[in-house]
Amino acid sequence: MAITAPFSYPESIKEKFIATPGLKFKDGTTVSSAEIWEFMTKEAPKRFPYAFDAGANNMGRFSDDVHFLSGIKRGYLTLTLKDRVMKEHAAGTPTVLVQGGQAMDAYYAAGGIPVRPGLVMQWARNMHEGLSLRQSETLGLNILESGRRKISIDACNQIAAHAAIDNKVVPIDLIAPFLCLRCSDMSFLVETHRNREHDIPRYLVDYPVDHENKPWAAEYIATELRELIAKIAALSGRTITDEVIFNEIKLENRGRRIATEIAELWWDAENPPTNSTDFFGIAFLANDFVGDPVAAVDLLEQSKIEIEERVRNNVKGFGVPDHAKRLYICGSCVGPNAHHAQTAGAIFVGRDDSWSCISVPVEEEGDPYLNIAKSMLAYPYEQRTEKRAEWTADQVKRSRADGVIFMYQWGCNYQSGVARMISDIVKEKAGVVTTFVEVGELGRSEATEQSTNRVEAFIEMV
Amino acid sequence: MGLKTLEKITAALESRPAELEQLRKQGKKIVGWLAYNIPEEIIYALGLIPIRIGQGGDGRLVEVGARHISTKNCVFVRQVLGQFAEKTDPYIKQLDLVAIDATCIQLYRLEELINFYFDYNTVVLGVPRNFATKEGHEYFRKEVEFFTKKLELFAGVSLEQSRLEEAIKIYDGIREAIKTLYRYQSLDNSLLSWRQVASVINAGYNLDRERYLELLQELIQEVEANLSEESGTREVEARIFLSGSLIPPGDTKLIDIIEQLGGRIVGDDLWSGLNFFLNLNIKEPTPYGVADAYIDRVPHGSLPYLDLKSDGRLANLKHQIKEFKADGVVYHTLRYCDAFTFKAGETKDVLGNIPFLEIHTEYSGSDFEAIRTRVEAFIEMIKSKKEIAELV
Repeated sequence: MAITAPFSYPESIKEKFIATPGLKFKDGTTVSSAEIWEFMTKEAPKRFPYAFDAGANNMGRFSDDVHFLSGIKRGYLTLTLKDRVMKEHAAGTPTVLVQGGQAMDAYYAAGGIPVRPGLVMQWARNMHEGLSLRQSETLGLNILESGRRKISIDACNQIAAHAAIDNKVVPIDLIAPFLCLRCSDMSFLVETHRNREHDIPRYLVDYPVDHENKPWAAEYIATELRELIAKIAALSGRTITDEVIFNEIKLENRGRRIATEIAELWWDAENPPTNSTDFFGIAFLANDFVGDPVAAVDLLEQSKIEIEERVRNNVKGFGVPDHAKRLYICGSCVGPNAHHAQTAGAIFVGRDDSWSCISVPVEEEGDPYLNIAKSMLAYPYEQRTEKRAEWTADQVKRSRADGVIFMYQWGCNYQSGVARMISDIVKEKAGVVTTFVEVGELGRSEATEQSTNRVEAFIEMV
Repeated sequence: MGLKTLEKITAALESRPAELEQLRKQGKKIVGWLAYNIPEEIIYALGLIPIRIGQGGDGRLVEVGARHISTKNCVFVRQVLGQFAEKTDPYIKQLDLVAIDATCIQLYRLEELINFYFDYNTVVLGVPRNFATKEGHEYFRKEVEFFTKKLELFAGVSLEQSRLEEAIKIYDGIREAIKTLYRYQSLDNSLLSWRQVASVINAGYNLDRERYLELLQELIQEVEANLSEESGTREVEARIFLSGSLIPPGDTKLIDIIEQLGGRIVGDDLWSGLNFFLNLNIKEPTPYGVADAYIDRVPHGSLPYLDLKSDGRLANLKHQIKEFKADGVVYHTLRYCDAFTFKAGETKDVLGNIPFLEIHTEYSGSDFEAIRTRVEAFIEMIKSKKEIAELV
């Protein structure tokens, strides 16, 4: 069996990298670029070898564009998540299981660390260090299957996060996600914790469907947000005033604004200034803030400067194919493999899932609870499907996409249910080809040929 | 000896599509509705004709529906979509409006697809997941009020309190009658079976509600008049309680298997069965009063509830099992009906020593023999247990 040499950052870029600013964190500490370099080149390859697996099937593989220095810092934030969360948790900061693609302002403002299911699993896998990609994935799949054995084979991969909590792989202090239209399994999986030995408190922030022009929908959520924040604050010991919440909103709004500006810059560039991995990795910072909004916003600012410079100099990101076919990705939780797509001649230009909550800032004056509620209700992804599809079609046009892939995970009832409808509407409104693909390989890099074939065939057709 | 009123109900059902056609010609509008929390009283009080839609058990229609949705959606949703795609169902083709409540979010998706692909006018009633909280109640009140306004616009009339009072009276009567029939079917000396009660409920989805109430009352009288004097003379039987995902009209696979193997179904807590008629007490004839009553009744499994000990759905399940003197529970789950499937293990834990069998199935016939084997073993086990108990 051929062994691919592990990925590593070349020494030739070290000097340039360590001359860049480090990162600031919410606890007031900073890390220098020299320290980041040491971590990413010496410590992390030993502790998390799976992350440096250079196989093309490795969905979490680092970007090959080593000259995009913000990308290295992005990897640093990903790989230090476990250390940072464990340290804060040990100091009394509550960890909260949340839903992905939603506003995190309330959770951070109340003094908690929100972790979505994907991050919980990354954290769970990182609790065992020194694992190869296969070992790490096997560990994750064992957790996943223990959940399915306990609950149901019909559950989507999100059940792995709940099993990691049940099995005490990671310490979660509160299970309190927003419900929304993106996910079918979350509410039922939260409910399953009531029949467990652990007594982790639980709460659901309901998300009313069909909420347009219904002020009572926002009022309902706002009341729930008060309850949520009170629950987190009781655990964190923080006193939460409107000012505290607004400070968090302002910080996260800054992140959302910069991420949007980066997307605009990227879309308008003659040549894509980064490859798909870097583009999505950076934009996603404003989505969940990787456990630390201060650090995430700091990195977004640095990334923007770097991308601006590349656009000014018409630099094409490393790995971006010549005359790349531009693909917009829809769906949730899963996406096509960026490395395979690049090899097949395509680049990803946007993603409705991550872009949705980034695109809606929270009002910075008035009632902060109501403001967050209103912004949540304004997420394009959570609108009625026809409206969501029209927004997606606009995004497709704005990003100059040549095609759309709607991808959903096996076991997902809500995204799968509208995959065809969205594809049909986007095809009509944006005039591009669309396809929808169901995949079952989330969390593993083996036996992915079926979906890879379908994506590559679509790219060829485009 | 057969029950004559059942024949009358069957005849009424057969002539109903033509009757609806006539009523539409006279300007009446038909509202097809689906799910668990649509307040039918309001539809009726506005002079609209409510028809509860949705059938199961037809693998071909499931495939037709799957062309517009996905194979990861529950078969009931797929089949209903198939019904709308084909428009051959005598009721579906006559609908002027489709009302769906968002108790089950997959049904909400269904509403979007019906509206988009098949050009049906639709209206959605939001249902709070946090249904037991004050804010959840408040939200639902506003939703029912909004729903009423939309229906008023559609009907071209305003909701009159007196009409709503009349409607509530009729529906209260129907609910009481169904509960009475459930009691009779569980007796050893009754001519009525659970299967027949299920057919009566299904007929009620389509019949005129006043006429339906009359027929129910007539049926009760007939059942009462024909109660056998002999009781407790039946041979050892397995009294089965059905729980889990809905069993809609047309889906008889599991029921057939249980009965063919000598099991006797004596009760259920299905949202397509008895639960729908329980604990719904409208104290005030207003949209708010209706909202409070609906949201406070036995909760639907699609609405999450985070405290096991105070879960009203489970309390009701335990109560009904006892009430109907069931020997075992067949917990029926439809593929990708996560609401009920994810609760199977927990329900088994909660029921403790009560024999429990989960059947996870679809509308295809491919698993018929596998289910048959499992149900047969389950019934045999119950019967043996009872026989041994009698000997001891």
